Amino acid sequence: MGVVMPLNAETAQARTQRVINEDSTDIALFVRSSQDDMIGWNRQRIVEALLRETFVDRDTAEKISRDIEMTIQAGRVKTITGPLIREMVNAKLLEMGLEEARRMHTRLGVPLYDVDQLLVQHNKENANVPHGPEATNLTLAEGIKKEYALLQVFTPDVADAHLSGDLHLHDLGFIDRPYCSGQSLEYIKKFGLNLPHALSMAKPAKHAEVLLAHMVKFAASLQSHFAGAIGWDAINLFYAPYLEELSDEGVRQLAQMMIYEFSQQAVARGGQAIFSDVNIYWEVPKHFVDVPAIGPGGLYTGKTYGEYEKQAQRFAWALFEVYKEGDAAGRPFFFPKPLVHITEKFFKTDGHLDFLHHICEVASVKGNTYFVFDRGDTAKISECCRLSFKLEASDLEDAKQPWKMRYSALQNITINLPRLAFRAQGDDTRLFALLTEKIQLAAKAHGQKKKFIERLMSLGKGGPLSLLAMDLDGEPYLKLHRCSYLIGMVGLNELIRVHLGQELHDSDASIKFGLKVIAHMNIVCNKLAESLEMKFVLEQTPAESTAFRFAKLDLAHFSKKAEKVVQGNREKGEVYYSNSTLFNVGATMSPIARVEKEGLFHPLIEAGSITHLWLGEAQPDKEALASFVINVFKYTQNDQIAFSPEFTACLACGKTSRGLSETCPYCQSKDVDGITRITGYFTKISSWNKGKLGELHDRYRNVKRFNN
Amino acid sequence: MTLFTKDDCALCAQLKKQFDLSAMDVQVEVLGNNDAAALAHLAWHGLVEKARKSLPILVLDDSSALHEFDHIESRLLDRAAHYGVAAKGHGKQAGCASGSCALQ
Ligand SMILES: [Zn+2]
Repeated sequence: MGVVMPLNAETAQARTQRVINEDSTDIALFVRSSQDDMIGWNRQRIVEALLRETFVDRDTAEKISRDIEMTIQAGRVKTITGPLIREMVNAKLLEMGLEEARRMHTRLGVPLYDVDQLLVQHNKENANVPHGPEATNLTLAEGIKKEYALLQVFTPDVADAHLSGDLHLHDLGFIDRPYCSGQSLEYIKKFGLNLPHALSMAKPAKHAEVLLAHMVKFAASLQSHFAGAIGWDAINLFYAPYLEELSDEGVRQLAQMMIYEFSQQAVARGGQAIFSDVNIYWEVPKHFVDVPAIGPGGLYTGKTYGEYEKQAQRFAWALFEVYKEGDAAGRPFFFPKPLVHITEKFFKTDGHLDFLHHICEVASVKGNTYFVFDRGDTAKISECCRLSFKLEASDLEDAKQPWKMRYSALQNITINLPRLAFRAQGDDTRLFALLTEKIQLAAKAHGQKKKFIERLMSLGKGGPLSLLAMDLDGEPYLKLHRCSYLIGMVGLNELIRVHLGQELHDSDASIKFGLKVIAHMNIVCNKLAESLEMKFVLEQTPAESTAFRFAKLDLAHFSKKAEKVVQGNREKGEVYYSNSTLFNVGATMSPIARVEKEGLFHPLIEAGSITHLWLGEAQPDKEALASFVINVFKYTQNDQIAFSPEFTACLACGKTSRGLSETCPYCQSKDVDGITRITGYFTKISSWNKGKLGELHDRYRNVKRFNN
Repeated sequence: MTLFTKDDCALCAQLKKQFDLSAMDVQVEVLGNNDAAALAHLAWHGLVEKARKSLPILVLDDSSALHEFDHIESRLLDRAAHYGVAAKGHGKQAGCASGSCALQ
């Protein structure tokens, strides 16, 4: 690349000057090339590039190169950069009407000013990314890959839909990776840590701590091959065969190591934390009861997992003891996120009520617990932010050999719902037609990403996705034919507000119409899945930045209409749309009403949904929360709930206090940062984007309801 | 009163044959890949997961729901009598050998 970084610009300039002075009789023009050197001017390089990269004929290429040469001579320039020459050629191609050639000849890069800003300012698109040299390296690379994706992977109609804000193609900067991955610990228990291109190969672990080390390294390798979450199924159960030799203190130590290892990865990696989810069961899930257990050394222990219930429970209990305590400063751990599955069998398993109280106490004190409701006989695994899968027949077959259980979604695309309502102008038929059109476009975009990943995967173990091509169990780690393609939504609440003049929480009629919109999305996805033979599933988009981006773009392009419905504070620029199918975060609804009504949408959103309950500074007792959770399981359709308390972390004295305050109650310092859930995880509020700050301000905290 | 059905559901077909549902003021919703309104109506009653297990489902005017075929049939017989609508004889339950008496 020919980008000249500001930090070395001076020395490069000095070098140019020196070269010119040393040879002042030579009128030659120097070109700072892409290969970190200076070369003499040669018009033929333009010709070669045009012939290599585009379909322009030689005569045209020659003519362009002569024209450029004349322009440069006329300007009496002494030094010029490769990128500038390329842009001059592009301008020429544009002038000649050779649009396709110009596209193919595009240069991807970053303006000097932007790099300067980036190195100094914090990128807030994803609150999960710390600021530092490694993070800015990632951001720069992401920027180039994003441009590449929009130019090369997707067709112009798809790219335009993204850029204009009709759709949001998530993680474009990670175009060469699938979206998320859920797996079983059995893979590394059975095969050891045996990764392509690794400097050493480790045999299956013989001890629990070694298994943990393998798990963390494997998770880190996976995170560099997926854009989103890395999830682990039934983690407490699959550790169980390693725990028999450990005392309670040893189990507790292991739990602590696991949580610290995952929560501190961001520091070690310089970039994003490992966005990790651990799925936890109090009971042994039905589909694992008779499965032969793998233990130390990757060998069968001679027992089934059904016989490890007590060990699995010991580990589950210990994990939540660690969560309850929080980190050294008493803050909640941000990762890994613990997802506890509440099932029919849960309520039939000994000790369930004590465990429920235990995890409810953690929910109240630190907020970590996610309650995932698997009603009826459906077996589910959750992995990405909200992505969960019902296990189908083929999955249940895999469950007999759990190392085969791995699931991936290839990409996530979100539709801007309020904009459809702006365009439909109150006409139902038009609204649904527009919605169909956007889902079709999203499906087309999914097909394009699929084709790109297939191309990378076809390069096999010698290609860039060698980790995903490894086939220790006879199948590539990434099972492309079984991937899901996620279609999400942002701003159902605002669509309803535009179309019906009311918000979701205002009336039954708005909820009914909202259900019709989501049912329509569900049905169109099913139809497209049949005809295109790709598994399209609806997901509640976490929309950490999308809800902000759509609102901003709509204020710019549909200002009259958007002004009336965009949430947040427009003066401060803290604007947003309500996430996915969520009700207005500020609506003063009782927690159970919110869970019940938002839950009506959940069965239509097959890749998983959640209702957030903002606790503020309230710290309800564990019994109250437990009976709330039981009622949600029994009487609602809600898929998943989480309770979010708020904290103030003092940077001066290091203490953590309950609630958000401007000064530390212990030392009165103003040097404090808030901590709470942004969308699907806890993080520091100072890293939030403006849209989410607007939402935080509006959130209705159920303080009184839960303190009663 | 609403009866949730599906086109290829044998049990649903049997009820439709047995009763003149429109004369009894029973709304019939046909679930499938073409009717978002029917699916939304099902979701409003919180019955999507139940329908994935079995159909038909009869939702009564108080919003409670019947899932057992026998219960549905006997409730419809009562209603037919109440409306003075003739119902074909007590049908022998067709069963659902095809396994398609459920929302996919
Ligand atoms: Zn302090």
